[in-house]
Amino acid sequence: MSTQIDPSLIKGLTIGLGAIGPAVGVGLIGSAVVSAVGRNPEIQGKIMTMALIMVGLVDAYFAFVLLILFTTHG
Amino acid sequence: MIAALAAFTAEPLAPEKLFGIGPFTVTNSMLLGWITAISLIALFGAAAKASKVWPKSRLAFFVESLIDLVYGMATDTFGGDEKRARRHFPLLISLLLLILLGNLSGLLPGIDTISYHHVSLLRSWTTDLNTTLALAILSLATVHYYAVKEVGLRGYARHFFSGNLKSPLTWFIGLNEVFSEILRLITLSLRLFGVIYGGEALLFAIAALAGNFGWVATLPVILLEIFVSLIQAYLFMMLTASYIVMSTSHGESEHAGGQAARVEGTS
Repeated sequence: MSTQIDPSLIKGLTIGLGAIGPAVGVGLIGSAVVSAVGRNPEIQGKIMTMALIMVGLVDAYFAFVLLILFTTHG
Repeated sequence: MIAALAAFTAEPLAPEKLFGIGPFTVTNSMLLGWITAISLIALFGAAAKASKVWPKSRLAFFVESLIDLVYGMATDTFGGDEKRARRHFPLLISLLLLILLGNLSGLLPGIDTISYHHVSLLRSWTTDLNTTLALAILSLATVHYYAVKEVGLRGYARHFFSGNLKSPLTWFIGLNEVFSEILRLITLSLRLFGVIYGGEALLFAIAALAGNFGWVATLPVILLEIFVSLIQAYLFMMLTASYIVMSTSHGESEHAGGQAARVEGTS
């Protein structure tokens, strides 16, 4: 290739496409948590604990996006 | 503004070497790792010396409550089996507290900022991929060692290649399972490294963008980082406990954390 790829383009595409996945994932977990608590409000603590574990698992993919974003230099 | 962002460099991905003791080089994250480990040992040593049946010192009280909390969580994951929880408990609580202290130490003043000839002297221990890889290898080696010890080598192989050994489908599924196990190593290490290192790079970027108001703009990000540090440390410990449970008692508690079985039991 004779022209270099603009690093701003790479950064923009990374965050634009990469943040869709984790956002949808956390939204799905949130909706499941809310309906589970609505069904059985007594064990709210355990449900929240499990939900936070799942959010931690999804959060990693967003961390990879941030990693690319901040280590791409032009 | 883009030029200002590009001119600002956060800490590099790999930790920098500080000095060498013979053939063994010491990097800046190793130094803070030693300081973290020594301070944790000193804290627990002081608490152990000060604890009696009715503890009078507040340090002993706090440490005992913390250990009680983590022991409750570990026992929950093992499905109420206290003997196995007690056997694996030292590893789990060491993982939790070391990773928590390593993650939080990146937010203290003086880390990453005090530098000598553009090489920062201290760097948070868990922002080093070597560290997280070593912790992941330790956790997974423990998992596989106890799996082999519990069911023997033949049962361990049958855990992957279960079913009719003559059909190629079994071999195909088995190879996929082996690949998943290896992938666990990669995701366990990269998850912790990526989250904590990305958080620190985010802090650097926000501080560079805010200019003179950096001290106010980074405050919400620091609170986010504290939250994320807690969750990632807890997650590492719970994943290790879940892998131990899943590999030694096949299919009894299939869900992560074992709490789902309790949830379905009570509803």
